[in-house]
Amino acid sequence: MESARHVFRVLFLLLVVVVIFSVGRTFLVPKSYGAYGPYRFDNVAEQAAIRPPQHGGSASCGACHAERLKAVAAGAHRRVGCEVCHAPLARHVQDGARIAAMPVDRSFTLCARCHRRIEGRPAAFPQIVLAQHQGGVEGTACIDCHAPHSPKL
Amino acid sequence: MPEISGYAFPNDVHVHWSLMIVMYPYITGFVAGAFIVTALYHLFGKKEFEPVARLALATSFCFMAIATFPLNLHLGHAERAFNVVVTPHFSSAMAGFGLLYSGYFVILLLEVWFVYRREIIETARRSRGVKRVFYAALALGTYDTSPEALEIDHRAVKLLSAFGLPAACMLHGYVGFIFGGIKANPWWSTPLMPVIFLLSAAVSGIALLVLLYQVTAKLGRRPIERETVQAMARWLWFFLILTVTLELLEIVLLAYENSDAWHIISQLLTTRLEFSFISVQMIGGSLVPFILLAIVVTMNAYLHDRVRNTLASVASLLLLVQVFSMRWNVVIGGQLLSKSFRGLRSGYQPSLFGREGVIVAIALFVLPFVLLWVFDRVLPIEPAAAPSDPRHEPAAEPARRTA
Ligand code: HEC
Ligand code: HEC
Ligand code: HEC
Ligand code: HEC
Repeated sequence: MESARHVFRVLFLLLVVVVIFSVGRTFLVPKSYGAYGPYRFDNVAEQAAIRPPQHGGSASCGACHAERLKAVAAGAHRRVGCEVCHAPLARHVQDGARIAAMPVDRSFTLCARCHRRIEGRPAAFPQIVLAQHQGGVEGTACIDCHAPHSPKL
Repeated sequence: MPEISGYAFPNDVHVHWSLMIVMYPYITGFVAGAFIVTALYHLFGKKEFEPVARLALATSFCFMAIATFPLNLHLGHAERAFNVVVTPHFSSAMAGFGLLYSGYFVILLLEVWFVYRREIIETARRSRGVKRVFYAALALGTYDTSPEALEIDHRAVKLLSAFGLPAACMLHGYVGFIFGGIKANPWWSTPLMPVIFLLSAAVSGIALLVLLYQVTAKLGRRPIERETVQAMARWLWFFLILTVTLELLEIVLLAYENSDAWHIISQLLTTRLEFSFISVQMIGGSLVPFILLAIVVTMNAYLHDRVRNTLASVASLLLLVQVFSMRWNVVIGGQLLSKSFRGLRSGYQPSLFGREGVIVAIALFVLPFVLLWVFDRVLPIEPAAAPSDPRHEPAAEPARRTA
C-alpha cells in the first residue's frame, strides 16, 4: 500500500474536484431549473414580461367603439374578431389613447380569404365561387353590397 | 440568396449548422481515433504501437482540449457553455454532452498523469525554483518511483484505457447519434450513423498519427519503425474498409428499398454533393487510399521503407480529406434537402472571414498542433533518455523492433 500513495492522492484530488463541482453547481444552477423540466422555469414569466400582448380581443375595442361592437355582435360576423380584419390593438392604441390609424382593408381579398370556395372547408360554412357569385365578383369590393360588420343581406 | 430547385419548405432554405458543425465531429473524431491507438498498445498489448502510444495520447488530449471551441463559436455565447456541464440530463442527446465530455476528460487527464508521472518526478528532482514547484505540484508531492509504484502506474493506465476506450467511443458515437436521431431527415436518420461516425473517427485518428509519427520522428531525428508504420497501415486499411462498407450500405439500402426518400437523396448525391461525395469522399478519399494501403498491407515483404512510408503518408493525407468530406456531406448535405423530399437548396458556401468562416476553421485545425508543441515542452512526448526503467525504453533504438 505504501507504493500506492500517489494513487490515493490523485483519488483524493478527484474527490475534492467532485465536491467542489457539486457545491459550485448549486450556486450555478438557477433556482427554478428543473421545476417543470430541464429548463429555467422563471424564464417563462420573464419572456412573457418582455413581450406584452399585442392583441386585446374584440371586447377591448368596445371601450371606444361600443356601437361597432354592438353591430358586429348582432350580425353574422359575431364570431369573427375585430383584429382579424383590422390589426392588433397595440398598433392602434397604447396606454388608453389612439397612437396610430387602424388599418382598414376594403379589398375583396379580405373576404375571399375566408369565403372563397375551397374543398377543404366544412360544407356548411358560407362560401362562394368568386366567378359565379352575383355574376362574378372577383376584383370587385364585396363591401359594395355587404356591410363588413353585419354582412348578411 | 440560396436558390431552390423543386419545391422546398420556406424554413428549409437556410443552412443553420455551419462549417463549425462540420469541424466539431472532425475534431472530436481525432480525440476518439487517437485514443483507440493508445488503447491498442496499453489495453490490447500491440507492441508495434509502442512508439506512437504516447504521441497518440498527447494528440487525443490536445484535440480534446479544444473540442468545444467549434460549438462555442457556432453558438456565439461561450459564457453559457458551462451550463451544459452543470445541468446534464438525458432528455436530449446534446445535453448528455456535459456528462460524456467531462467524464472522458477526467479519464484522459488521469491517464496522461499516470503515463507521465515518472518523468514529472524526474524533472522535479532535476530542476530548481519555480519550475521545481510546478513539477512537484504536478507530481502531487509524492516522489515514489519504486518499481512497485511504477507497476501500479502501469496497471492504472491499463484500467483507465479500459474505461477510456468506451468513453471515447461514446463521446464520438453520441455525435453521430445526434444526427442519427433526427427522424425528419432521411439523410441523417439511421442507427448506422453513430457507428459510421465512430469508425471514420478511427480512420482519421490513425491517419493523423501515421503522419504525425513520421513528422515527429523526422524532426527528432529518430528512425521510423517499419513495424509501426506497417501496423498502423494495416489497422487503417481495416477501419477504412469497415467505414466505407457501412457508408455504402446505408445508401445501397435506400436505393434498393427505393424508399420515398431515395428520390431526393439520389438527386442530392448526384447534383449538390457530386463533387464532395462521389469525387472526394468515395473515389479520391476511399478508393485510392484503399488501393495504396492494400499495396502496403499485402506486399509488405517487397516494399522498400521509403516506398511504404510514402504510400502510407499519401493514403493518410487522402483519408484526412475523406473524413472531412464525410462530415461535410453529412452535416451540410442533410441541410440542402427539404423535408418536402421534393426540393433542394443550392450548395452551401461558408464565408471566408467571420466567426464561422474558413479562416477560423483552419485556425481551429492548427490549434491542437500548437497545443501539442506546448505539451511536448511541458511533458516531453518522446523521453530523451530514461535508463532507470526497462519498460520505458527510449525510442531511439532502431535495431530492437525491426527484427
Ligand atoms: C369581416 C371583417 C371585419 C370585422 C370582423 C370588423 N371589421 Fe371594422 N371594418 C371592416 C371593413 C372592411 C371596414 C371598412 C368599411 C367601409 O369602408 O365601408 C371596417 C370599418 C371599421 C371602422 C370605421 C373605419 C372608417 O374609417 O370608417 C371601425 C371604427 C371599425 N371597422 C371597427 C371595428 C370593430 C370595433 C370591430 C369589432 C367589434 C370590427 N371593426 C370588426 C372589416 C371588419
Ligand atoms: C382608446 C380608445 C380606442 C380603442 C380601445 C380602440 N380604438 Fe379604434 N379608434 C379610436 C379613435 C379615437 C379613433 C379615431 C376616431 C374614429 O374614427 O372614431 C379610432 C379609429 C378606428 C378605426 C378607423 C381608422 C382610424 O384609425 O382612423 C378603426 C378601423 C378602428 N378604430 C378599429 C379599432 C379596433 C378593431 C379596435 C380593437 C382592437 C379599436 N379600434 C380600439 C379609439 C379607440
Ligand atoms: C376571418 C374569416 C372571415 C372573414 C375575413 C370574413 N368573414 Fe364573413 N363570415 C365568417 C364567419 C365565421 C361567418 C359565420 C358563418 C356561420 O354562421 O357559420 C361569416 C358569415 C358571413 C356572411 C353571412 C353568410 C350567411 O349566409 O350566413 C356573409 C355574407 C359574409 N360573411 C360576408 C363577408 C364579407 C363581405 C367579408 C369581407 C368584408 C367577410 N365575410 C369576411 C368569417 C369571415
Ligand atoms: C353585387 C352585390 C354583391 C357583391 C359585390 C357581393 N355579394 Fe355576396 N351576396 C350578395 C347577395 C345578394 C347575397 C344573398 C343571395 C345569395 O345567397 O346568393 C350574397 C350572399 C353572400 C354569401 C352567403 C352565401 C351563402 O351561401 O350563404 C357570402 C358568403 C357572400 N355573399 C360573400 C361575398 C363575398 C366574399 C364577396 C366579395 C368577393 C361578395 N359576396 C360580393 C350580393 C353581393
